[in-house]
Amino acid sequence: MRTAILPLILAVAAAPLTARQAAAIQQNPKSEKPSADSSARVSAPAVAVEATDSGRVQLSKATSDSLTQLVSRFRRDPEAVALPPTDQIAMGGRTIPAGTAIAGPVAVAGGPLHVYGTVNGDAIAIGSDVIVHPGARITGNAVSALGSVTLAGGTVGGEIRQLAGALGAVPQVAAESPARSTRHALALSSSWLIILVLMAIGVLLFAGEYLDGVVDSLEGRFGRSFWAGIATQLALAPVLCLLVIALAITILGVLLIPFAIVAFVLAVAGLITLGFLAIARITGESVAPAASKRYSARGAALRALVVGVSIYMALWVLASAFAWAPVVEMVLRGVAVAITWVATTAGLGAAVISRGGTKRSAPTASFAAVNDIPWQTPTPVTGVVAARRPTPSSSPRDR
Amino acid sequence: MSESFVSRCLALGLASAAVSIVSSSAIAQSWRTLDVARQLSDSAPASVQVVYGTGQIGVRATSKPLLYHMQLRYDATRAQPRHTFDVASRKLQIGMQKSEVRFSGRDDADAAHLQLELSRSAPLDLNLDLGAVESDLDLTGLRISRLHVESGASDAKLRFDSLNPTRMSVLEVSVGAASFRGDRLANANAADIRIDAGIGNVELDLGGQWTQDIDLRIDVTLGIVTIHVPSDVGVRVTLDKTLASFDHEGLIERDGGWVSKNFDSAPHKVRVTAETVFGKLSIDRTGR
Repeated sequence: MRTAILPLILAVAAAPLTARQAAAIQQNPKSEKPSADSSARVSAPAVAVEATDSGRVQLSKATSDSLTQLVSRFRRDPEAVALPPTDQIAMGGRTIPAGTAIAGPVAVAGGPLHVYGTVNGDAIAIGSDVIVHPGARITGNAVSALGSVTLAGGTVGGEIRQLAGALGAVPQVAAESPARSTRHALALSSSWLIILVLMAIGVLLFAGEYLDGVVDSLEGRFGRSFWAGIATQLALAPVLCLLVIALAITILGVLLIPFAIVAFVLAVAGLITLGFLAIARITGESVAPAASKRYSARGAALRALVVGVSIYMALWVLASAFAWAPVVEMVLRGVAVAITWVATTAGLGAAVISRGGTKRSAPTASFAAVNDIPWQTPTPVTGVVAARRPTPSSSPRDR
Repeated sequence: MSESFVSRCLALGLASAAVSIVSSSAIAQSWRTLDVARQLSDSAPASVQVVYGTGQIGVRATSKPLLYHMQLRYDATRAQPRHTFDVASRKLQIGMQKSEVRFSGRDDADAAHLQLELSRSAPLDLNLDLGAVESDLDLTGLRISRLHVESGASDAKLRFDSLNPTRMSVLEVSVGAASFRGDRLANANAADIRIDAGIGNVELDLGGQWTQDIDLRIDVTLGIVTIHVPSDVGVRVTLDKTLASFDHEGLIERDGGWVSKNFDSAPHKVRVTAETVFGKLSIDRTGR
């Protein structure tokens, strides 16, 4: 037995771990890089024994600690199989001699597992290889983590499994801490606030007239715009289907279908954005009316837009701030969704009614201020006919 | 305040917001490779169920004495591999857990892949349930008793370069919004071929070794279907079309369908039953 252990000790001392295995042990899970070739072979230390059980190999404490750490990571891996207790894992490698039958699982770490005999159960090598020699038999699985399983004439009754890349427990998204998830949610909603404010500025600068058109259409006709918005939402899918069908009728049109779908989506997105910004502007003007002398027309519009967008997005930011309390967050998000949907629907309806802001509503007829007192109908006393009072609809000829 | 200054500010703000969104929604990835195989103990028939949601998949025959060999590269944070073989029922389930496949818009399609090799010895009932994947199914050399391929939005290729030694009861392909190409399908040794496509192009090459007549049923909602048939094979087409065109060059109308001139005398025949709503059906008899 001693003569059999000696070569192993020497081999492990010369090359206790390959560079890849050592790197795998030391690597930070966050910076783990997968191997390009999962079936890459790991060079195993030369072991000359064939017919004797190699038993255990003495390793330095540092190496042993590293291997223990690797074993611990393997235990947490979802693709791992059940391992024996760590003190029963052969650090540095092991040989199962021919003619012997060992109850599994048999595990090694940091050195190869040579199987010449029979393993009744799983054979596992962590950071090293499993070599199944001629005549050998493994009734369970042959598993190698960060190494390979070599079939050199033996049989494996179970699965032959090789793992490479990040080893250990899978980082779960669900494991995110409440504080971190709240920060993420806040960052996301705040980013959308910034994007919408910037879009508002862009629309005001480059498409201000269209925005004015939608605002004109929306003012005073909120109900009509809202119902038009609902009708538009209901009609979107049928209209898209009709568009596709119309294009599909002609063979050449079939080729245009992808472009038509993209154009349709962009047009709808543009109308929704325009409508939302219009209602945000009206909301902003209502909540924080600008003093007429302090701002120019464009400045007042910009102020109203920023205020309006901030009000609507504040609901989302508020909901994000309660990401640590799922129930509160859900309620707040529900409120935010409802309010945003109503606003967006009305805005979309106004954008459709005004044809994207290109169609202005007819100017409201202006009534000239009429001093009523001189035109009070006198009480007829002596049959004097009262003079006719001018009205805005009266034509000059009528007067 | 000039417009160029405003434009720069807008661009800077949008970029900052985009970076913020991306960073806030970023999820740690954990790429792994898994290599699993099982030695072939006998040549009894096996049922193979492959499920794969996103990425690239290749299926082919193995030259080693293995029942199966899967090489899988995947992000462990978003999907869980599955590889179970029930020895009693000889049912293999392999691939990824479909319910856990999530689409993130990142580089999944480029990085995730599955390469599956199957035994040449065991007759296989092969069922592939694929999502948005790019698939290359080279079934040359396999003994397939039944084949069912279901694919979502993907680009799928299927080929049989040599004759399937086992007679296939049915070859079914169902694709959603995708393109499908089948090469040398006569080698599939199937008397019943069914293609069901939603939107996309379907190209079928019926070249190969003909051992029996083939009933080919095609149902395409929107797309172009091209069927390549060797010139010595008789063709009969029964078409139910709504707003589709049919290129029937070389075929004559007979008994409510279209037949090739050699239909009665040809040693082997293909009877095509096609149903299409929009698009075009073409029969190419120049042979391939």
